[in-house]
Order: sequence, then C-alpha cells, then structure tokens
Amino acid sequence: MAVRTIEVRERVMARNDELAGGVRRRLADAGIVALNLVSSPGAGKTYLLEKTLAALGEELDIAVVTGDVQTQNDADRLARHTTRLVQAVVTGGACHLDALQVNTALDAIDLTRTRLLFIENVGNLVCPASWDLGELCKVVLFTVTEGEDKPLKYPKMFQNAKYAVLTKTDLLPYVPFDVALAKVNARAVNPALEFFEVSATNGSGMEAWFAFLRGLVASGATV
Amino acid sequence: MHEMSVAMEIARIAEQKLGAQASMLCTVAVEVGDDSGLEPSSLEFCLDVVFRTPPFTGAKPEILRRAGNVLQVAYLEIDDGCPDD
Repeated sequence: MAVRTIEVRERVMARNDELAGGVRRRLADAGIVALNLVSSPGAGKTYLLEKTLAALGEELDIAVVTGDVQTQNDADRLARHTTRLVQAVVTGGACHLDALQVNTALDAIDLTRTRLLFIENVGNLVCPASWDLGELCKVVLFTVTEGEDKPLKYPKMFQNAKYAVLTKTDLLPYVPFDVALAKVNARAVNPALEFFEVSATNGSGMEAWFAFLRGLVASGATV
Repeated sequence: MHEMSVAMEIARIAEQKLGAQASMLCTVAVEVGDDSGLEPSSLEFCLDVVFRTPPFTGAKPEILRRAGNVLQVAYLEIDDGCPDD
C-alpha cells in the first residue's frame, strides 16, 4: 500500500471566524453595537436583559438573539418587555452559539431600526469562549452564589471578556461571597476586565449598567 | 464539551481537501494547544466516531499536543491501495 501525506495546516475555527467577520461587517454597516452575554447557567443573563429591555428597549433600539439548548423560554420571557421580535436559537444539544446561527438570526431582525444587539449565549462558562460571533465584545456574568474562584477555574472565558457583571448582589448578606477576592481572581486572569455589580431584583447598580450601555451606543463603537 | 462540533468541522475540512479521495483517508492529524479549550482524549474519541461515518472509512485520529491555543488540522494521510513504489 502507498500512503501519501497531504499537508493541511488549516485552523479548525477558520470558517467560523470568517462567518463572524461577515456578521461584524454587517453590524458595522448598520451602525449596531453587539454584546455577547456569556455565563454559567443561572447567573442571571435573561433577568438582566429583561430589566435592560424594560428600561432601555425603546430608547436604544435594542434587539435580542437568545440561544438555548432546548426551549424558547428565554425568548418568551424577553418578549414581554419589548415590542421587537426576540430571535430564539435552539441549538438542539450544542453547548454554544456559532457565527452561522447569529448571521441567520440577523436575517429576521430589522437592522435599520436597531442600535444595540444583545446575543444571549447558551449558559456555559467553557465552550462559548471559543466561538467568535462577530460581537463588539463579550460580557461575562457571574453571580454571588458561585465561588469567588470561578475566574481561575474558567480562565479562558474571563480572558476573552472585556466586561464582567457580578449579579444578584441583593443576596450578598446571605452568602459567604467575598466581592474583593472575586475581583482579584478575575483580574489575575484579565487585568483589563471592567466590573459592574448589579442586582436586577432590587435595582442596585443598574443605573451604572444603563449609563454604560447608553455611552456605548452613543460612541458608535461597532468594531 | 464542544469536541463533537470541532470534530465535525475537522471532517468538513478533510472532505473539502480530499473530495472523492475521502474514503482513502487513513490518518487525520490535529494539533491541539493546551489552552485551546479542548480535552484531547475527548476530541480523539469524537474524531474516531466521525471518521467512521461515510464518506470516511475509519481514519485514525492523531492528536499532536502543542503549547498555546493552536487548533488546526496539521495533515491528512491517504492510502491509495496501490503497491509501494
């Protein structure tokens, strides 16, 4: 038998990155700021978005693409707070969204009347870190009921995020969570990480989050 | 956790490179960085399954461990069934 070797040297993520580049150009052409929300399941992505949509949905022309392994529960929850179509992507088992899914979801969104796009990724602190979706940046949520060492255990997600939102701060009196230590751990893996501390339940810290979003949209930073 | 997605993308790349020769594929070598976010043994398992599925006929995965976050198809080996030169 004759065995022949074929050199390939092709990055496995090349196709996704190419598609993500297409999404990024599409968003830039339409002047849309896109944030990719990532976290473990249950950190409060949907609840933060519900409150954000209720407060700023009209003002900032917010559109949402939300991904889940099964059900469109999150899309149904979010739809109560906006007149806009909330695009649900059911991954059917996959642990992350990819750029092709986002590109397809954008087809159903009126981009001409969108200035801010949230992509709510599948709840998972591992896999979504590897997939570029064409977003401006990733925003990682983590919550006071998780351990302070989450950034050390899942460094890639925290390295790839530009902003971190500590959620459910209304529970701080009831849980042994050291906010300062959590920040030290997060900045150990990503010194440039910027923090928000919020409770979507009692509203604490939400004004700073809203001000940040207003500033981001006003800056027109799409790439 | 996403090793199967990655294995299927590797199969897509291999099929694109090989075309009608895909059934002759005998080895698929993949460079996997320690910071690539992938578990090498899990990827190997997924590749083994994917490359048993047509048009492939049971190519063996070879995982080449690397430093950093590299994740790429290094090379493919095909056996054309002809006698050695």
